[in-house]
Amino acid sequence: MAMLSMRAVKKSFGDFEVLNGVDLFVEDQELVAVLGASGSGKSTLLRLIAGFEKPTAGTIELAGDEISSVNKVLVPEKRNIGIVPQDAALFPHLSVSQNIGFGLAGWSSKAKAARVTELLEIVELQEFADSSPDKLSGGQAQRVALARALAPRPAIVLMDEPFSALDAELRTRLRLDVKAILQKEGATAILVTHDQEEALSLADRVAVLRSGQIVQVGSPTEIYNSPVDIGIATFLGDSVLIDGEVKNGKVVTLLGALSPLNKVTEGQVGRVAIRGENFYLLPNPKGEGEVVGQVFFGHDAVVEVVTKGIKIRARSNGPFAPEVGMRVSVWVRGSVNFYPG
Amino acid sequence: MRKPPKVILVIALTATLLAVLPIAYLGLRLFEGFDRALAELLRFRTLELLGNTGLLVLAVSASALLVGFSQAWLTTRSTVKFASFFAVLAALPLAIPSYVMALGYMSLFPGFSGFFASWLVLTLATSPYVFLGVTAALVRIDTATDEVARTLGLGRFQVLTRVTFPQVRPAATASVLLVALYVLSEFGAIALLRFDTFTRAIYNAYQGSFDRTSAAALALVLLLMTLLIIWFERRYRGLYTASPKALGKRLRVDLGSWSWAAMAALALVSVFSVGIPMASLLAWSIQGSASLDLPMLLDALWGSVRLASLSGIIISVFATAIALWAVRYRTRLGAWIETLSWATHALPAVVVGLALVFFGANITPWIYQTTWMLVIAYLILFLPNALAAISTPIAQAPKDLEDVSQSLGVPANRTLFKVVLPIAFPGILAGAGLVALTVLKELPATLLLRPTETNTLATRLWDATEDLAYSQAAPFALLLVIVAGLPALVLNAQARKALSEVRG
Repeated sequence: MAMLSMRAVKKSFGDFEVLNGVDLFVEDQELVAVLGASGSGKSTLLRLIAGFEKPTAGTIELAGDEISSVNKVLVPEKRNIGIVPQDAALFPHLSVSQNIGFGLAGWSSKAKAARVTELLEIVELQEFADSSPDKLSGGQAQRVALARALAPRPAIVLMDEPFSALDAELRTRLRLDVKAILQKEGATAILVTHDQEEALSLADRVAVLRSGQIVQVGSPTEIYNSPVDIGIATFLGDSVLIDGEVKNGKVVTLLGALSPLNKVTEGQVGRVAIRGENFYLLPNPKGEGEVVGQVFFGHDAVVEVVTKGIKIRARSNGPFAPEVGMRVSVWVRGSVNFYPG
Repeated sequence: MRKPPKVILVIALTATLLAVLPIAYLGLRLFEGFDRALAELLRFRTLELLGNTGLLVLAVSASALLVGFSQAWLTTRSTVKFASFFAVLAALPLAIPSYVMALGYMSLFPGFSGFFASWLVLTLATSPYVFLGVTAALVRIDTATDEVARTLGLGRFQVLTRVTFPQVRPAATASVLLVALYVLSEFGAIALLRFDTFTRAIYNAYQGSFDRTSAAALALVLLLMTLLIIWFERRYRGLYTASPKALGKRLRVDLGSWSWAAMAALALVSVFSVGIPMASLLAWSIQGSASLDLPMLLDALWGSVRLASLSGIIISVFATAIALWAVRYRTRLGAWIETLSWATHALPAVVVGLALVFFGANITPWIYQTTWMLVIAYLILFLPNALAAISTPIAQAPKDLEDVSQSLGVPANRTLFKVVLPIAFPGILAGAGLVALTVLKELPATLLLRPTETNTLATRLWDATEDLAYSQAAPFALLLVIVAGLPALVLNAQARKALSEVRG
C-alpha cells in the first residue's frame, strides 16, 4: 500500500488551473522527485499535500487515511507531515536544538532530548546545538531544517527545492548528505525541483510534472533513457532532434540508419532525439562535419558541429576536444528514441 | 586621521555644552540642597504621584501594545480588506498632539478627566508607535516559519503566540519602552485631563507657588524613573537586529468570516483616535467661527512659525556639525560628543524647562525670559531627534566622491562644503523640517520659558482651555494638526517605510 496516494487531484486559483488531474503514489521509505519547470505547479502540489491548500477535485490519502478532498481538508498540524522549505525558514528566535525539538510537543523531556541529540548526530551538527540559526551557513541551515522536519517521525517529508539557494559545489555535497540522512531515518519523502540532474541523481523514482499533470513516472534511468515524448526528452538533457523515417525496423536519418529504443511501425515518419553523449566525433580531414564551436569543461566538452546542414551538439569526453575549424566525421552510438509525428 | 575644520569643532562643542550644562546644573543644585529636597520627597504625596505615574505608564504600555500589535498583525499578516487604508489610519494619530486629542474629548464630554480619561487618550496617541515598530518587524518575518510550525503540530493561534510574537518581541519591547517614555514625560494631555502625575505636579509646584525646591525634587524623581526606562530601552534595543533578509512572498492568514469583525475593530479604533476628537474640534471651531479672533489666531501662528523655523535652523546647524564630526571624521572626541548629545534623549520637557529656569535665573539672567532661552530648551529636547535624522544623509554621501574631489585638487575642508554638504542637503533640510514641526507642537517647556509677550498656537490653546473656552481653543488645535501634525507625519521616515511595506 502506498504511503501517499493522490488521485485525480485538481487545483485552480480562480479561472487559472494549476493542477489538472494529478495521480501520484509514493511507497513507504521511497524518495520521489517531482520534476517540473517553474510554473508547472510543483509548489502547489506540495502545499496541497501539506494541507495549506484545498483541492478543487480529487483526493489525497496518507498512510491509508484520507487527508484532503473537496469537502474535507485535515488541518496541517494534524497530518503528521514534515516540510523543508526552500530557504530553510528556521525559527530565528530559537537555538538549533530548540528548532529541531519544536515539533516534539507531546514527548517527555528525556525522550525529546534523546531525539534531538540523535538528529544532531545524523546531520553532523552537534557543535551547533546551542547556536542561533544566523550562525549557520546555508547548507547547515538546510540540514537543521531537515532534522526539524524528521524529528517527529512524520509519515512523509516534503522538500521544496531545498538546494536551490546554495552554490553549485555545496548543492552536490548536500544532496548526498540528504539522501543518506533520509535513508538512515527510513523516511518517505517527496522532493520537488526544476533541476533534472538533482532529480535523477537523488530520487528512487522521478515524476515529471508538466502543465499541471504528471506525464511520466519511472526510475531515473527509465526517465532519462525512455522519455515518453519529445518535450520530456529535451527537458531532461541536451538533445538534438532530427527527422527520420522507419524503414526495415530502423530509423533512417541524414546521419544514417539508427536503431530505435521504442516500438516503431514500418513507414512511420517522425523525429529522433539524440543526446550529446550519443554522438561520436572522429577527426577526419575529409569528414563532412565542421566544428563551429567548442565549450571546454575539463571533464568533457560540448562541441558544436555542422554536418549535412544539421547543427549538432556533441559531448566529447577526455582531455582533447576537437578545435573550432577542424573537420570531423559524425557517428551516432547506441539506440535512440523515435517520436512519430 | 584627518581633522575636521575648526568651525565644525566650535559649533559641535557649543551645542553639546548648551545641551548638557543646564541639566548638570539642576543636579548640582539639588545636591547642594540635598536635605531640603529629601524632606520634600519624604511625604505621602510623593508616593501617591509615584503610584499614579507608574499605574498610568503600565496601563498605557499594555493597552498600546495590544492595540498597536493587533493593528500591525491585521494589516500585514491577515486577509483583512483595505489593509493599506487601515494602516494609514493606524498611523494617523501621530499627526494629532496628545493634548489636542485630550481637548477634543474633554470639550465633548464634560467631566472627562482623571485616570481613565488619561489612559484612553494616551493609549490612542501612543499605539501608532507600537503599530509602526511591530509592522516593520512583522514584514521581515519569513512566513514559511508559520507553515513549518503548522506541520509540526501548532494551530493558528499557537503560531501567533509561539512563532510570530517571539520574532517581533524585540521590536515590540522597544516600541513599548518608547511608549512608556512618552507617557512618563507627557504633560499637556495629563494636565488638561487633571490626573496627578509627576509632570503635572512639577508644573503646578513651580507655577502655583514658585516653589522651586519642591519642583526640582519631584523633577529629580521623574528623571530617575526616566533614566530607568532609558536603561531598559538601551538594553533591549541591543537585542533587536532587524534582519536584512529580502522580503519574500508574504502569506496572509485567511480570516474568513472574521474579516468583517476585524475591519470593524480597526475602524472603531480610528473612530476613537481620529474621528471623535477631530469631529469635536471641528464642531467647536464652527460654533465659535462667528466670534473668531482672526488677528489673535494669525499672531499665534506667526509666533509658532517664527520660533519653529528659528529653532529648526539653529538645531540642524548644530546637529549637522556634530554628525559631520562623528560620522565623516570618526575621531574619538567626535564619537564622544555624539554620545553626549544623545544624553538628553527622552528627558521630560518639564524637567528640561525647570532646569533652564534655574540655570537662566541664576547663571545667565541676561537671556532669561528671552526667545533664546526657548531655543536652548528646544535644542536640549530635540537635538537627538535632529541628529537621528541628519546623520543618515551625511553618512550616505559616498566617501569615494570625497577622494575624487581631493584628487582633483580641492582641499579636504572645501570638499566638505562643495561635495558632502550639497549631497546631504536634502536630507538635512528634511531633518530641519521635522525638528521645526516638533517645536511647533511642544507645550510644557514653552509654557515654562516663554517671554511674556510670546504666544504660539500651543500656548493659546492651553490658555483658552484653562478658561474652558473650548470654541476659542478649537481653531488653534485644528491649525496645529494642519500645520504641524500632518506635515510631520508625511516627513516621518519610519511611518513612510512601514506604510509602503504594508502594501508590498
